[in-house]
Amino acid sequence: MKKIPLFPCFSRRAAMLAAALSVLACLPDSALGRVKLITLPVRERVEIQLDNPRATLVEEERFVPLVKGENQVDFSWASTQIDPNTIVFRVVATADEAAPDVKVLSVSYPPNESALVWTVGASDSGSARVRISYLLGNLTKSFNYRAVAANDEQSLDLSQYMRLQNLANEEFANSGVWAGFGPQFLKPIGMNETKEMLIERYKNVPIQKTYTCNPVEFDFLDRAQNKLRVPMHYVLKNDAEHNLGAAPLPYGKVRIFIQGAGDDPQAGTAFLGEDWGQFTPKDDEMRLYLGVAQDIVVKRTIEKNERKRITGNLHEHDVIVKYEIENFKKQPVTLDVVESLRHIRNEARGDSGRDVEWQLGKETTFEGGPDSERSTSEQVVFHAQLPAAGPEGKAEVIVHKLHVLLKNEW
Amino acid sequence: MNPLARIMFAVLAFSAAAPVARSGNVDLSTVPERKSVQLTIYNSEDLTLVRETRVVTFKKGANPLQFSWANTLIDPSSVELKFLTAADQLDVLDTTFPHDKPQMLYWNVESELDGEATIQITYFTSGITWSADYVGIASADESTMDAEGFVRVTNNSGEEYDDAQIRLVVGTINLVEKIAQLAQIPMSAVAEMKSEELSTLRRSAAMDAMGSVSGRGGQSGPAPADGKEIIKEGLSEYFIYTVEGTETIPNGWSKRMRSFEAEDVPLKIEYRYRPKEYGDQLVRMYLMTNDKPSNLGTTPLPDGAIRVFRDNGRDGLSFLTQQTIKYIPIGDKIELNLGPDPEVIFELVKLRSFRDAIWMQINGTNKYQQVGEDAQRTEVNSSVAGWDDHSVFAQRIRNYTSQPIGVEMRRTYDGHVVFRSPLEPKLHDYQTVEFRAGVPPGERTELLFEVVQHHGYNAKQNNVTLEAAEVVRD
Repeated sequence: MKKIPLFPCFSRRAAMLAAALSVLACLPDSALGRVKLITLPVRERVEIQLDNPRATLVEEERFVPLVKGENQVDFSWASTQIDPNTIVFRVVATADEAAPDVKVLSVSYPPNESALVWTVGASDSGSARVRISYLLGNLTKSFNYRAVAANDEQSLDLSQYMRLQNLANEEFANSGVWAGFGPQFLKPIGMNETKEMLIERYKNVPIQKTYTCNPVEFDFLDRAQNKLRVPMHYVLKNDAEHNLGAAPLPYGKVRIFIQGAGDDPQAGTAFLGEDWGQFTPKDDEMRLYLGVAQDIVVKRTIEKNERKRITGNLHEHDVIVKYEIENFKKQPVTLDVVESLRHIRNEARGDSGRDVEWQLGKETTFEGGPDSERSTSEQVVFHAQLPAAGPEGKAEVIVHKLHVLLKNEW
Repeated sequence: MNPLARIMFAVLAFSAAAPVARSGNVDLSTVPERKSVQLTIYNSEDLTLVRETRVVTFKKGANPLQFSWANTLIDPSSVELKFLTAADQLDVLDTTFPHDKPQMLYWNVESELDGEATIQITYFTSGITWSADYVGIASADESTMDAEGFVRVTNNSGEEYDDAQIRLVVGTINLVEKIAQLAQIPMSAVAEMKSEELSTLRRSAAMDAMGSVSGRGGQSGPAPADGKEIIKEGLSEYFIYTVEGTETIPNGWSKRMRSFEAEDVPLKIEYRYRPKEYGDQLVRMYLMTNDKPSNLGTTPLPDGAIRVFRDNGRDGLSFLTQQTIKYIPIGDKIELNLGPDPEVIFELVKLRSFRDAIWMQINGTNKYQQVGEDAQRTEVNSSVAGWDDHSVFAQRIRNYTSQPIGVEMRRTYDGHVVFRSPLEPKLHDYQTVEFRAGVPPGERTELLFEVVQHHGYNAKQNNVTLEAAEVVRD
């Protein structure tokens, strides 16, 4: 025999943990009464949809017993951040032909209570499969990554995790969890629980280790000696060629490790540091900061700054930026030299507020010219090939020049 | 519920000069029940017109009637009594607002009738409001949407109107005072206001307009399993929803009812870059039309929140957006902003900048000379007075979705600008250029355009001119 609990109204909500659903077996007017006969349909299925970046949608499915005619279905919640305006009640079509036709006639909201009462019309007595969905606060997700680079730093294994934090004051038995991409999980999620789930493990992702100098973004290491800071990055390209590209990579913390050189690379794994991985669309690059390279020294000076009058107060400026670069590493290295033309103009003649009109001069020495992919009218990127240091650790001084004509300034 | 709040209507059981008799300590009164009540609720103002009828037994001679509304939000200046039957035999001789009881009045009715008559009392109250809201669920392939509209009536008036017929007015009316303020002050103070003007204005705004629409529905039994219909009709500049049958909304409660339901509303997806409207980002839009071919168009859509979901194709929903829509007339467009799409990348890159058409003004004169015009002579004593800034841009769009997309872009420029491109743009307004592009699934496109800005002496206008031309990268 089905057990139908008899609850006085005031204790009913206290008896529930949080979100509760009950069907009142009585007439509409008794919604205000003190003593009620109610059935408590249990959750059959819960889905937690995390695909929206700003909101978490919870969907729960229950079988609700209804009588022919009007029924009151009471939904209440306590100490949870359910947004009552987002609650949607849907009747799910079933193959069962005996299932009644069910329609929500109206919804009533009692004062000063986290509850609502659906008035549901049923064509016949029977059970209806209903799905109730709502936005729930304090059930949040974040992403994080674990990157383990091979010892030669040519590739890495990237593990992507989703971390679900449940501070919603509600527990969910086996619930479907979906991030909007990747696999769907079926996990129980307890109250105040944090659950980390592996979304994907990307093996053998080819990476590029870069050394970059950029006075605007990374500043000088030693301004008095004109020495630029040279940060190192691992660059991952989010495309199929690099064993990625299934989906955009969401923002998240990346912990970076490197394998040891010995026979057992796992044993020698060392922590290299961590960085925030920015949101990376497909075909874009994720750059992970590894720290400052101590073995590459770049001295940047302005070798030439000459003003030529065209007419009246209209001038052009002939500017040469000189780089003296030493690589003390035992391997040859490519250095990315990045310059903002606005910054060069401001150094050479002060800020005029106008866009910079410029041309590369003949004395520019970087082989291959500027990187056409990454250079724009505001910024130029060059690549400098640095040979390995000599046997005694002696580094050759490589000199490069960036020659720029700044035109039509006043 | 406030147990003290009660609208009371009483027939006082004493005969002669009512004011004298009332001053005694012992009163006897009978309380005729409300026979019917109709609420006409406005959503643009905190205003509800209440029209209630009661059956009163009159005796020949003077019949004092008392009407009180303790702890409610009724505007005392608006209370009116009308006789629906035996009107020729009944007259209100005077109306008294006692100074010591602010929320009460007495009508002194002279009757030639010995028997029953139906009276109608009308007044304005505040505290009963209604609002609209909508839920849309897009199909998994996003070609159609199932939409539902709701109206939600909230009763915070302090009074319970049982089995009330409910009418909702869509549209804006003019009020010179807030009812809630009037409800707080005694009639003596209200009387000192320009009451004539006040009530005239209010009546012309609300009562006249609504009086001409006959109420529908009436008493009904339990609602059918289909739910109640909400009847919609236009009236002057307003639109009136009448809820079928009657409703009881206890004080403090609110009730939400379905006002329409539409299945398979055709849906169009467009991507838009309109920084003035949607911020500096490319957003994804759902576009629909509130008309009959779209299975809509039975009613204008009043202001309200809409919550948009999508069937995620895995037996569940995805939440897309929640936003407020402004009143949408029948036949007008419904535009829903779903925010940026991580599968569509939109980047603007400035490829080149240069200047030309530089004009020098010889200092201290009105003489101008263009640079390069007279190359052999360098005029030292001159200053730049006019020039053109050229900027070449590449608008890059990458489409990682599985569908072809249409993108509309608007860019606004200040000053005298020439927009040069092969993109077949048009002017949205004098300073805003609009152009479109389509991107097949999985592909990328690059749109080149050049913006020429005339400055100083060269600026002759304050607008954008379009020029069809090929633009080269460098």
